[in-house]
Amino acid sequence: MAVDKLILILLVLPLLGALVNGTLGKKLSNALVGGIATGVMLLSFCCAVLVFNQTNDTKIIHLFNLLKLNDLHINASLQVDALSIWMTLIVTGIGTLIHIFSIGYMSHDKGFYKFFTYLNLFIFSMLLLILGSNYFVLFFGWEGVGICSYLLIGFHYSDAEKGMANSIAARKAFIMNRIGDAGLLIGLFLIIAQFNTLEFTGIAEKLSLDPTLANGAIIGITLCLFIAATGKSAQIPLFTWLPDAMAGPTPVSALIHAATMVTAGIYLVVRSNFLFELAPLTKDIILAIGFATSMIAAFIAMRQNDIKKVLAYSTVSQLGLMFVALGMGAYTVAIFHVTTHAFFKALLFLGSGSVIHAMSDEQDIRLMGGLAKKLPITHLTFLIGTLAIAGFPLLSGFYSKDEILGHALAHSPILYGTLMISVALTAVYMFRLYFLVFHGKFRGGEQLESHVHESKAIMTFPLVVLAILSVFGGLLNLPGIFLKNGTHWLQNFLNAHTAGLEKIHAEHASKTTILTLMAVASTMTILILIWAYYTYVKKNKLAIADKDLKGWQLFSNAKLYIDEVYNFLIVKPIEFLSKMAYSFIEIKVLNQGVFGFANLFGKAGSIIRYWQTGLLSSYLFWMVIGLIGLISYYIIKLQFWNF
Amino acid sequence: MELLILPLVIGLISLILPSYWSKIFGGIGAIASLALAFIHLNGFDPLTQTILASSNKMAFGLTFNFGYDAFGLVMVMLTNAIIPIILLSNWNRELANNKLFTALVFFMQLGLLGVFTAQDGILFYIFWEFTLLPIFLLLYWFGAKENNKVLFKFFIYTLVGSLGMLLALIALGSSANSFAYADLKNVQLTQEVACWIMSGFLLAFAIKIPLFPFHTWQPATYTSSPMAGTMLLSALMLKMALFGMIKWMLPLTSEGIEIMRWPVIILGTIGIVYGAIIAIKQNDIKTLFAFASISHLGLIAAGIMLFNTAAWSGAVVQIINHSLISIGLFLAADILEKRTGTRQLSELGGIAKLAPRFGFWFAVTVFAALSVPFSAGFIGEFILIKELFTFHVIIGILAATSLILGAVYMLRSYQLSMFGAPKIAAFEDLTWNEMAVFIILSLLILGIGLFSSLIIEYTEPTFRILTETLTSNQQIIE
Repeated sequence: MAVDKLILILLVLPLLGALVNGTLGKKLSNALVGGIATGVMLLSFCCAVLVFNQTNDTKIIHLFNLLKLNDLHINASLQVDALSIWMTLIVTGIGTLIHIFSIGYMSHDKGFYKFFTYLNLFIFSMLLLILGSNYFVLFFGWEGVGICSYLLIGFHYSDAEKGMANSIAARKAFIMNRIGDAGLLIGLFLIIAQFNTLEFTGIAEKLSLDPTLANGAIIGITLCLFIAATGKSAQIPLFTWLPDAMAGPTPVSALIHAATMVTAGIYLVVRSNFLFELAPLTKDIILAIGFATSMIAAFIAMRQNDIKKVLAYSTVSQLGLMFVALGMGAYTVAIFHVTTHAFFKALLFLGSGSVIHAMSDEQDIRLMGGLAKKLPITHLTFLIGTLAIAGFPLLSGFYSKDEILGHALAHSPILYGTLMISVALTAVYMFRLYFLVFHGKFRGGEQLESHVHESKAIMTFPLVVLAILSVFGGLLNLPGIFLKNGTHWLQNFLNAHTAGLEKIHAEHASKTTILTLMAVASTMTILILIWAYYTYVKKNKLAIADKDLKGWQLFSNAKLYIDEVYNFLIVKPIEFLSKMAYSFIEIKVLNQGVFGFANLFGKAGSIIRYWQTGLLSSYLFWMVIGLIGLISYYIIKLQFWNF
Repeated sequence: MELLILPLVIGLISLILPSYWSKIFGGIGAIASLALAFIHLNGFDPLTQTILASSNKMAFGLTFNFGYDAFGLVMVMLTNAIIPIILLSNWNRELANNKLFTALVFFMQLGLLGVFTAQDGILFYIFWEFTLLPIFLLLYWFGAKENNKVLFKFFIYTLVGSLGMLLALIALGSSANSFAYADLKNVQLTQEVACWIMSGFLLAFAIKIPLFPFHTWQPATYTSSPMAGTMLLSALMLKMALFGMIKWMLPLTSEGIEIMRWPVIILGTIGIVYGAIIAIKQNDIKTLFAFASISHLGLIAAGIMLFNTAAWSGAVVQIINHSLISIGLFLAADILEKRTGTRQLSELGGIAKLAPRFGFWFAVTVFAALSVPFSAGFIGEFILIKELFTFHVIIGILAATSLILGAVYMLRSYQLSMFGAPKIAAFEDLTWNEMAVFIILSLLILGIGLFSSLIIEYTEPTFRILTETLTSNQQIIE
């Protein structure tokens, strides 16, 4: 089948699934609802594979005109190239697995059909975001995923205990995303002002035809786009919503808040690479923000005790690493890390979902321990995920992190050295998490222990698939020391078949350097693994109770008090302003002012009564005025003197 | 002319009929007038104008001219589409069984259609003032009893405003020796005079829209009015002022735009932020929606003052969108108030669980009000903020904050009323007519969101003609 038909089918299928489940889902059985939702995803994925096989060039699929303003034409059209189809594969592929997992995970939930409706709707929005051929369609998807994220974070809004907290978390996520959205909107306006088009290819073309367009305005544009990216991809200063977003059901955290939506910001920058390449200043800012986010989030993750919160901060930290790659201009490397991260972070979240399911919804790792024997499949896959994210040799995370570190070394040795700290911290908190959950003794009490059981096959199957991907994902982009031909397959594929993507030199260093880097990273990870084993298993050190936290641990546990600072600096002043505006400006100044004015009018009216010019026309006219004045005067006097 | 006569006849007949029959008759009549509007739409070429009635000049230069261009017809369509929706949303309310109510709604429709089709300055003014009568009586008879002070404030406020417009029209008419629209438009003014005349118009429009700081009548009026009154006010009556700005004020006094543009755009922008900021901490849900409305309308008014076709395209989409959304929001607010006895957010909560259908459709309305993708507001706000941004960066950025603040107050109002644990025992879910209203509104909002280009391209030739006065003025100056 032709590419354009396939793309349309794969885009519309999830929407169709959402419509069917949304309208009829209430009456259908859970199996059918889950089957429909997962079925459309699987079909969508198959279409994506078919398109992928045919992708060798940039293809624009024009659907219809959305908007025509003077000479600005905005079309609903899609763009198929290596970048968009690769992202589509990730979204539909991981999406399918998470749909399967959700059938088991959500089986006892009353809102089963609603959940799958939202999930399908999310995939549709995400595909729109990825496949749009211009910033306007991207913006459609961009806002769309924000709404689905809102709906899914606050999914259990009527829960007696946590309902309000869930919906507050959802609102926080939506508002913080909206701040980014406003940035994107302004970026769009700047792009229109500069290029009078929103098409990706159109902008690139105009830039190549008229080099004078590459002026200072590009910095403004790229900064706005980056603000948008900080919102969606949870970077400083807009990252605090992501850990709170863990209030949503765990499959949601896996799909939206780890594997797909949060990488939208990275996609946006990669898609706009030809603009960012013209704005070195913005790239430096991205590098700085990405680096700072990566460090801060890794630090906070060290002393979190909620299994999902640890993973959430880990996600923020990994996203920071991706932005570091972007800041260095290593766009394809960032996408490579997006890919491997999607594998192992989805795996880790689904694994944590399996753990939480077994623990009867308990998420505190201080109450876990020794789950390895009771949850063998979950344990094994979680271990693989942990090793992958920690950069254990030859697993997927090892390769993608190594690419970033290699570029960092080429960029500046100091950057490399400090990034290594962030990478080391990742290994530390991940092994801490792993050992506290799966080793030692069970600490949750006997009653809870008796309920602990391995999840059903429908939940473990996706874990196994993701574990395999986490192990072998690195093969997608093997560096030159392992192979003679076909090295850096993913990077070359993206470079060759993505419109506008700059050719990045794939080999950044000599073989010795690469080998040294790999050796250093591997040694470090293995040493941390051994250290963690001794600390948490042999010495049986446990997570510290909140009241005993001291020094840096307190800061890490309290998330550096960033929420409190935001609350004090932003939320409270706005609330104060709101109250003041109402009680002072609105009531005191304006309302009183109006009555004062009306009163004046009334007095003036009583003077005007005596004007007698003898002109009929002016009489007529003044009569009306006088009447109004009089009426208002008396009404005010009688009715609202005390109002 | 049957366009105007029909509501008059329906209104009069429903006065004679027994109350129950007048409700049915009103429903049929409203649909008939919508059908009639469709017939007009069908026979209209957007590149032309239709004359409904015309006369020679009479005493004082008055004429009896009615007609519409594409923009006027869009407003007629909007009116005739909104009236049945308002009747439907009131179907199970007590006041719907009162024939006075039915009659007043149709007299209101008559006034509105008169405003949108008048082609003579004095006719425009007469219909403009005429609309005050039915709405005043509606609010007076069916509103809250402690309503009177608020009502007089509203009445006098708008009446005073209209006087400015009357003065402006008389000033223009006396130099043209005619009040016919075409003649008024041809009057050449100096910049100073144009500014004065525009100020006259603005006094009326700024109060009606309402523009900050002329809005103080609005929140109190909205909260103490019966639902139908609030809907008529916010969905239709305010739109007269926006219509008047585009069709009357700006083309007639285009010489003054360079000076007058700034204050209005600044006031509009202040309104955007001010309304949104106040809405953030409001506890009364109707007051909250009233301030939200001030925020939304500030954007439209500021956009209109840009005096170009693109901004007006955004304005017309947003005018329609705001009508639909305000009906949905005030219906939701009224459902909450009627079934719980309170409008205070702090006393509400957990209703989504008790009434899932209401929870869903209220959420859809809230998201439409947030201008999410696929809703009409997405396109309307995009165009308006873009044009304001092109005009001045700071104004554009301030306007864009409404995106963020809107999310804050809208989601807060929904969350506090619908989420969490229920604070009341039972809540009756949507009745069939309320459900129908929400479905119709959502479909319209979705449809316009996807196919806004139809409306934009339909009104564009008219807007081009209306903005031509500006370019021709500039040529004269040069």
